[in-house]
Amino acid sequence: MKEPKIVAFLCNWCSYAGADLAGVSRLQYPPNVRIVRVPCSGRVDPLFILTALKHTDGVLTAGCHPGDCHYTSGNLVARRKFTLLKSLLEFVGIEEKRVQFDWISAAEGNRFAARIRDVTEEVKGLEPWDRWGGRQDG
Amino acid sequence: MDKCIREIRDKAQELLETGQVEVVIGFTAGTLPGKSTPCFITRGEDCKLLVWDEGCKNNLANYLLKEKRKAAIIIKGCDSRSLVNLLTENQLSRDRVVILGAPCPLTEGCEGCQIKSPVIYDYLVSGKAGKTGEDDFHDVKTFARLSPQERKEYFYKEVSKCIRCYACRNACPACYCRECFVENNLPQWVGKSTQLADNLIFHLTRALHVAGRCVDCGACQRACPMGVDLRILNRKMLLEVKELYQFEAGLKEEQELPLNTYDPGDPEPFLAGGGEA
Ligand code: SF4
Ligand code: SF4
Ligand code: SF4
Repeated sequence: MKEPKIVAFLCNWCSYAGADLAGVSRLQYPPNVRIVRVPCSGRVDPLFILTALKHTDGVLTAGCHPGDCHYTSGNLVARRKFTLLKSLLEFVGIEEKRVQFDWISAAEGNRFAARIRDVTEEVKGLEPWDRWGGRQDG
Repeated sequence: MDKCIREIRDKAQELLETGQVEVVIGFTAGTLPGKSTPCFITRGEDCKLLVWDEGCKNNLANYLLKEKRKAAIIIKGCDSRSLVNLLTENQLSRDRVVILGAPCPLTEGCEGCQIKSPVIYDYLVSGKAGKTGEDDFHDVKTFARLSPQERKEYFYKEVSKCIRCYACRNACPACYCRECFVENNLPQWVGKSTQLADNLIFHLTRALHVAGRCVDCGACQRACPMGVDLRILNRKMLLEVKELYQFEAGLKEEQELPLNTYDPGDPEPFLAGGGEA
């Protein structure tokens, strides 16, 4: 397929800093990803993810590891939302790999780069995404 | 049921005539056979118009939200679960409403019904409520066994029937937001037309918004003029919330809604590899 477009919602305190570290460390990762910095993974409304899928082929959401949230429990509350979102999407037949989640700390530049490589490859391996039935190329 | 409706009428009349409430929310005969219609009664003598029969399917809890007067409401099991939710979410103050509980009048009942008699009430009308069985989520489990492609096709097909009239949302006692996300325009999250993508996003998001709060009353599905299968999504969420967080909405007066809280040991099945790694 054409190069997939991927959106990554990254929390300001951990995962975005992790992406920054990957950049500063000159780690290579695919340019398919578009990063959206959010205050906390708890800020990621399922609607963001569903809407992103209208325009792109895959979504990664990442935040601080449980226990390390800058706001103590933002990611813990987010976990329940993400669990339900993911199970609902799978229930209606959306591939597991299309919408992914991870915990990436500010020190894990390597993990960030590796995750982006994996997500990109995995999304590439899926059938082309219809963008909720409204596929327009690009 | 004769005795039941007599008791309801008497109690409603008494509440109005003694000035304990200004309005009684219940059902009266509808214009179509088998369909009773919600009614608002303010005079004692009109209480004879109240009915309690097969046609009383709607979830009346919804009407309390807009009611400014001191009200009495006649409710069955599922409506009472919605009331518990509304109280939990501070949408109602308990002292402004008198709850007249009655056993569910539907002889057949709805599939998967968990409780036919009200969870909370001030007065309970006598009468035996039909039996409820354990809900085995047969429908959800059967659907989950289809291939992903089949599931997606079914979901797309159902949702493409939707004309975005929002009757489902308006009938739902869990959908009381002053401004629903579909009506937001700064930013406009969801397009207002019936494009498939917008329909899909609307229905997935609504299912998530009512997750852990939906009481499976079926009001949304009954309200839908296009026969969209909304229930399958809601029941999927019902099952997940029950299995993962051991929670069923509105069955106990003291409840903490699962999406308002967390447990440090919550499972993380959404992570790659199911959170095992
Ligand atoms: S989503 Fe439907 S079944 Fe659930 S509470 Fe609302 S109206 Fe009832
Ligand atoms: S769909 Fe969501 S935003 Fe709209 S009324 Fe229901 S709960 Fe509120
Ligand atoms: S009631 Fe039916 S047609 Fe109307 S918005 Fe809901 S699902 Fe769509």
